[in-house]
Amino acid sequence: MPRAKRVQAAGPRRAATRPAGLVLTVPSDTAFLSLVRDVTRKLGTLAGFPGATADRLALAVDECTTNVIRHAYRGQSGNAIELRFSPDGNEFRVEVLDDGEAVDPRAMPRVDLERYAAERRKGGLGVHLMGQLMDSVTYGRRSGRNVCRMIKRRPRAGRAQA
Amino acid sequence: MSDLAVEARELDDVTLIYPRGYINAHTVRLFEGEIQRSLEKKRFNIVVNCQGLAYIASAGLGAIMGAIEEIRENGGDLRLAEMNDTVRNIFEILGFTHLYRIYPSEMEAILSFQAAQEPGR
Repeated sequence: MPRAKRVQAAGPRRAATRPAGLVLTVPSDTAFLSLVRDVTRKLGTLAGFPGATADRLALAVDECTTNVIRHAYRGQSGNAIELRFSPDGNEFRVEVLDDGEAVDPRAMPRVDLERYAAERRKGGLGVHLMGQLMDSVTYGRRSGRNVCRMIKRRPRAGRAQA
Repeated sequence: MSDLAVEARELDDVTLIYPRGYINAHTVRLFEGEIQRSLEKKRFNIVVNCQGLAYIASAGLGAIMGAIEEIRENGGDLRLAEMNDTVRNIFEILGFTHLYRIYPSEMEAILSFQAAQEPGR
């Protein structure tokens, strides 16, 4: 099994409940999805998000990483996926970067659940789910790389967790 | 340790599937394979017992969606039981709770198929 390439702490040391940013580079292999999920969930809880929200963060990052493997890299293993985690104050930001094929967010399939089963589709739910799980999901290009940026905001006191 | 183990057993005309662990893009084929095995045997009444399921990503939900039309066209159904809050939450986010019957216990899910077969029900 391929090995994770690099885990690197970035930024100054902070209190244990406010972890510094972290950069994780993994190969484009679905065998690493469990690692991605576990790291994301742990960072979410360290940043003080409730367990249920940390679960949602982990699922969104899992879905994004899966999309990179399947679409940007067309299922080919051995390419690099870089995940930049920035738990900071009132929001948790994650950027997922890859060197695969350019992704056109306008071309991403929209899911109509009423028709989905009848069409016997299996894909497309991930992008839909990411949008439901996170407060913001944006796609772009930076220095020739695909960048998916996701943000989860901490709910204000007294408001139910979204 | 593997991220997912899937067991299945047959009880009368109901196939019971027990995924234990995590269903994501890496493990989904195991889960999908167990559903397909039931369909190949023309067993279209399926209960997925989610007691041991810690997590399900869209790949797993897609596996269910990809099979449900064939199951229902053949007079069967795929029903779920014993979900934890994390998994139920994902189903709710996607509106799947309106598409699938979810039961608190495995026994209730099994009996729901028998109730449908009783005359006058």
